[in-house]
Amino acid sequence: MERKRIEIPADVKKVESVGEEAEFPFDISPMYEGERIRKNEMYVELGGTEQPGFELVLALPEEEVEDMKVTIVGPDLEEMEEGKAYPYAMIYYVAGSQVETDLEPVIERRNHDFQNYLEGYMHLNQRYDIWIRIGKGAIKKGLKSLTQIAKATMMLFKNELPFIEKIEAVYITEPTMVEKTLNEVAMPIYDERDARVEALHDEDVDEFYSCTLCQSFAPTNVCIVSPDRPSLCGAISWFDGRAAARVDPEGPNRAVPKGELIDEIGGEYTGVDEFAKEESGGEYERVKLHSFFEYPHTSCGCFEVIGFYMPEVDGIGWVHRGYAEPAPNGLPFSTMAGQTGGGKQIAGFLGIGISYFRSKKFIQADGGWYRTVWMPKDLKERVSKYIPDDVRDKIATEEDAKTIDELKEFLKKVNHPVVTGVVRPVDGKKITEGWVEEEEEEEVVEEAVEEAAPAPAMQPAQVQPMQPMQMQLPLQLPQLQLPAPQQAGGGVKLIIKDAKIYVDKIVIKKPEEKKKGGK
Amino acid sequence: MVVIAVTGKGGTGKTVVSALLIHFLSRNHNLLAVDADPDSNLPEALGVKPRKTLGEIREVFQVSRDEMGTMNKEQWLEGKIYAEAITEADNFDLLVMGRPEGEGCYCFANSLLRGVLRKLMRHYDVIIIDTEAGLEHFSRGTISGADYIIVVTDMSKKGLSTAKRIKELSSELKLNFKQIFLVGNRIMNGMGEDIIKEFADEEGIELLDVLPYDEEIVKLDIKGEPIVLMDENSDYAERVKKIATRLVGDGNGKNEH
Repeated sequence: MERKRIEIPADVKKVESVGEEAEFPFDISPMYEGERIRKNEMYVELGGTEQPGFELVLALPEEEVEDMKVTIVGPDLEEMEEGKAYPYAMIYYVAGSQVETDLEPVIERRNHDFQNYLEGYMHLNQRYDIWIRIGKGAIKKGLKSLTQIAKATMMLFKNELPFIEKIEAVYITEPTMVEKTLNEVAMPIYDERDARVEALHDEDVDEFYSCTLCQSFAPTNVCIVSPDRPSLCGAISWFDGRAAARVDPEGPNRAVPKGELIDEIGGEYTGVDEFAKEESGGEYERVKLHSFFEYPHTSCGCFEVIGFYMPEVDGIGWVHRGYAEPAPNGLPFSTMAGQTGGGKQIAGFLGIGISYFRSKKFIQADGGWYRTVWMPKDLKERVSKYIPDDVRDKIATEEDAKTIDELKEFLKKVNHPVVTGVVRPVDGKKITEGWVEEEEEEEVVEEAVEEAAPAPAMQPAQVQPMQPMQMQLPLQLPQLQLPAPQQAGGGVKLIIKDAKIYVDKIVIKKPEEKKKGGK
Repeated sequence: MVVIAVTGKGGTGKTVVSALLIHFLSRNHNLLAVDADPDSNLPEALGVKPRKTLGEIREVFQVSRDEMGTMNKEQWLEGKIYAEAITEADNFDLLVMGRPEGEGCYCFANSLLRGVLRKLMRHYDVIIIDTEAGLEHFSRGTISGADYIIVVTDMSKKGLSTAKRIKELSSELKLNFKQIFLVGNRIMNGMGEDIIKEFADEEGIELLDVLPYDEEIVKLDIKGEPIVLMDENSDYAERVKKIATRLVGDGNGKNEH
């Protein structure tokens, strides 16, 4: 949408004023933030629930902005009736060598902060939702015109955001014009911004943001929030991280410079690795943002959804907090979450936020949606529009399968990619072999993939997960129905930390030969 | 700003005390009443119809946050709280905290809420918080602290042991309060008064007053009518007024803090 000055029809009343105001009849200080003007102390209300209102920042070429000019279109404060609500539009034209369209929302958001510094003026909400109250006290102290408000706000904009070289304000209270400008100019711009969010990717930005709000529960958890990966709790997007880091750079959301790209597909960056090492107290040295198996993101305990690898089908299932039944691997969300949470990096399990399903890079290193075989119906419906058409119907829900056997049956029937081998869309590489033809006894035999841990005397082999062994093998894995316990010497490394183990008696025996012919 | 938390075992009459303090203090002070007890009925005691609870708004936030795009979530929450959660009564504002959160992660929502509430609260002269004995909102940090804690108790053993627990808890939570007080309520005879005094001495809590049993309060309660309709010249009401003045001043330019 083209950026241009708002046209003001000739027959509408307007008042113009240029130049800085020497004095204001109100105090200006951050101390007034949060000030609430109560109904019976209110002179007038602007916008709010009864009247339309919006605020908009437009970046314009320098020659089109007249610095420190204010135009009030429609009735000004003195012409308003006490106790009434009026429509309200605040439009700012800004210019400067660094001012670009991308910065419009960033500048616009500060209108809230700056206007709340004004004594006797309450500003709430954003965009087309704004709600302003002006106190009777402010009028008594000499506030006469919205021009004074606009000039004070512009002064703050220029002081606090020095890259703004020129700023001009148009405040509109005339009902038809507020409506018309809202619908024809502001709304399309807000929509355009939201569309840009969808199109913003990790590669388009220089910094990601951390979140350590959860570290009280999960001390080694390092949440990295990128445009393609929202926080695990689902609450924090890259934009939220950026907003919080600007307000409090040393707070729970800090900027993490990306550094060098190490693995484009897995999403590994030197900056993120360094940060992870530092913040986890050295526990983890590498984190790949879009990988399920290899150096996955840590899982805090707050995650909305947990992903779990099912070796039997060589696919990944996802279950959300609200689904109380066991997943096809026999475990409910709570059990898996209990074992994975606490800031651990566990290959084979991954906590995520629901909004990560929207990401174009959703576990792209491991096949994304094409590796996904199961999710509860509720969850699937919630994210359905983000699932590619050609695999949507091939992902089972509890209505199709509740156990591994039923799931196998279903996947075979619909010919899910995992059956014949998954080709990951990101680079067209075939990443899984698919199922080997089933034997008569319905056990899948599979030998090719156990590079990491060749186990000698295996029981009838199930499909083994490939990578999990690269990581330290968490103690819980056997309980978690991963491969059947292997015999000693299988290349498994056990690291036990801070453990207090009390054992009454340990008996180690060779497995007995199966007796033939009953008891 | 003076923040007073009124607490005690359920049924001891802490809501009656809170409501009357709010009623009297709001005449001369810019006051925020906070209902931080999901089982209390502070709005009814005040004769105010409450709007949405903070808990309800937090739930709306949890389900709609994915659709907010680049909107600022703190501003969104603040707007909702100001527009939908704060009830404007004639002389004061009321905020109902509501039920604690459900499943899922509320770290971010609560962190935003804390910020919004802190900014909001500093603009009032007096904040009265009617809170359950577990002081949950304090321990979670949604309410950051109190200057005075008033523990209301009746003559019962349970009321007194809850009072003792609250005293311990409030020190553990590091609320940085200036003082903790005891108020005896519904005390029918000299024996009851002695029990309360003895307890206050033993525990080292200053006893603010011992309020009598009041027939009118019971009647209002039975009819479900607001406590604040009671006779203001009654012995009970006069005593609560004195407590209010003691803690906050009389509002006529006397600033005690």
